Amino acid sequence: MRALEPWVEAPLQAFLAESAARLTLLMTSSGQVVAQHGFGRSLDVMTAAALGAGIVASTEELARLMGAPKFEALVHHGGHQSCLLAAFATPRGRWIGLVVFGQETSVGIVQLFFDQLVQQLTDSAPREQAPAPRLAENFEHELDASLRALFGR
Amino acid sequence: MSAAQVALDRVTRVPGVRGALIASSTDGLVVAEQLMDGVDGRAAAALTGSLVARLARTTAGAGLRAPVFLHLRGEGGSILAAPGTDGLVLVAVAGPEANVGLARLEMLNAAGRLG
Amino acid sequence: MSLVNFTAREITCKLVYYGPGRSGKTTNLQYVYGRVPEGRRGRMVSLATQTDRTLFFDFLPLELGSISGFTTKFQLYTVPGQSYYNATRKLVLQGADGVVFVADSQARRFDDNLESLQNLQDNLLSQGVDVRQLPVAFQYNKQDLPRDLILTPEEMDDALNFRAVQSFSADALHGSGVFETLRGISEQVLKRLAAGTQVA
Ligand SMILES: Nc1nc2c(ncn2[C@@H]2O[C@H](COP(=O)(O)OP(=O)(O)OP(=O)(O)O)[C@@H](O)[C@H]2O)c(=O)[nH]1
Ligand SMILES: [Mg+2]
Repeated sequence: MRALEPWVEAPLQAFLAESAARLTLLMTSSGQVVAQHGFGRSLDVMTAAALGAGIVASTEELARLMGAPKFEALVHHGGHQSCLLAAFATPRGRWIGLVVFGQETSVGIVQLFFDQLVQQLTDSAPREQAPAPRLAENFEHELDASLRALFGR
Repeated sequence: MSAAQVALDRVTRVPGVRGALIASSTDGLVVAEQLMDGVDGRAAAALTGSLVARLARTTAGAGLRAPVFLHLRGEGGSILAAPGTDGLVLVAVAGPEANVGLARLEMLNAAGRLG
Repeated sequence: MSLVNFTAREITCKLVYYGPGRSGKTTNLQYVYGRVPEGRRGRMVSLATQTDRTLFFDFLPLELGSISGFTTKFQLYTVPGQSYYNATRKLVLQGADGVVFVADSQARRFDDNLESLQNLQDNLLSQGVDVRQLPVAFQYNKQDLPRDLILTPEEMDDALNFRAVQSFSADALHGSGVFETLRGISEQVLKRLAAGTQVA
């Protein structure tokens, strides 16, 4: 498990233990990764997040077009693996959860503990966002060097 | 009234039973429910469904037949479950004073007719 | 919006390649994908029609490396250029930290470029983003085509680049100008971040 912000860890850990999910990914609604469990490469996580956020954005838009209320969750039932995709509000803005699970658990269990995860995230989000420290003075200088290194010019 | 509604009706009429529902044990979702206020059907369906599915796997692994009735006694009451056919489970949430014997009879009877 | 995480010391920026249909947005990403070492890039995802027109988006994650101790990642997206797909284009544009406008230098595509640029401004505005506040770079693509078919970079600048932001001439098919453009927009986005206007 890997979380960008420490307060996300405990609720996510509890969810993983209770739900028996194989893969879990939390992201912002624009597809930025917040936390993940079960993925190998961090670059693949980004791809999954981009696709998940794309699906949520398009189903929400679809719901809006049809004058329907937002979908709460999208479940894809597969033979061996299923997948739950759901957007939810947090004190940090709208987030999306993507959960892949197998036959060792059930969609009912995953959904139940996912709702609990959402509640716990809401409860444990730090009230005030710590004032953002400034990037270091030498950031711009090092930026030039890094760009030269990556792009070779 | 559907077969499911009849089953739920008979079970909830047993004194002390606070609600009954039919869950799918494969996905842990509520199929039909008749509950008193304050009983979380979704949680009961998810947890009982999963319990029944696990027990069935366990007994099958041991070469036994699947359980026909489950009685889970807690401090504040009991969860009763009777697996039916087609992966459906009849679940009842009972208070501590409930007539579990009668509930069991009604449930086994009803579960046989589910699916 | 870029995600700067001070705990994990990570910066993630979203760059969107915009422009009219068939201008070469997907080709830009394909070229980058082919040239960046494997350890620095993730899988490239293309949600496209059977005729290779972008349907939803292309996506390519890149790792720039460490800057002042921050692991810096870019997410490159392309939008579908065909006007028909405006709804999905808007979705992809959401939360962009910088935009590369890939224009088609062919003279006959002149109006399509203008229309797409107008559409970019409209879509940004509907998301509450002022295009003047957003890092933008122009890329005048297909400069490899015969002279009599295309406009020069200067003519393209006159037609599209009113605010005189960065512009690059390119031949995305063979790669010239592709990394220059990417470098240009990356620099703009990260410098803006360093200036503190967007540190989240
Ligand atoms: N000659 C030439 N052809 C190019 C260049 N860049 C792209 N092309 C060709 O133009 C066509 C369209 O390129 P794409 O990259 O698919 O265009 P796109 O902007 O992604 O198009 P949509 O997905 O429909 O928005 C392809 O056949 C490319 O090979 C270039 O610099 N020069
Ligand atoms: Mg394309």
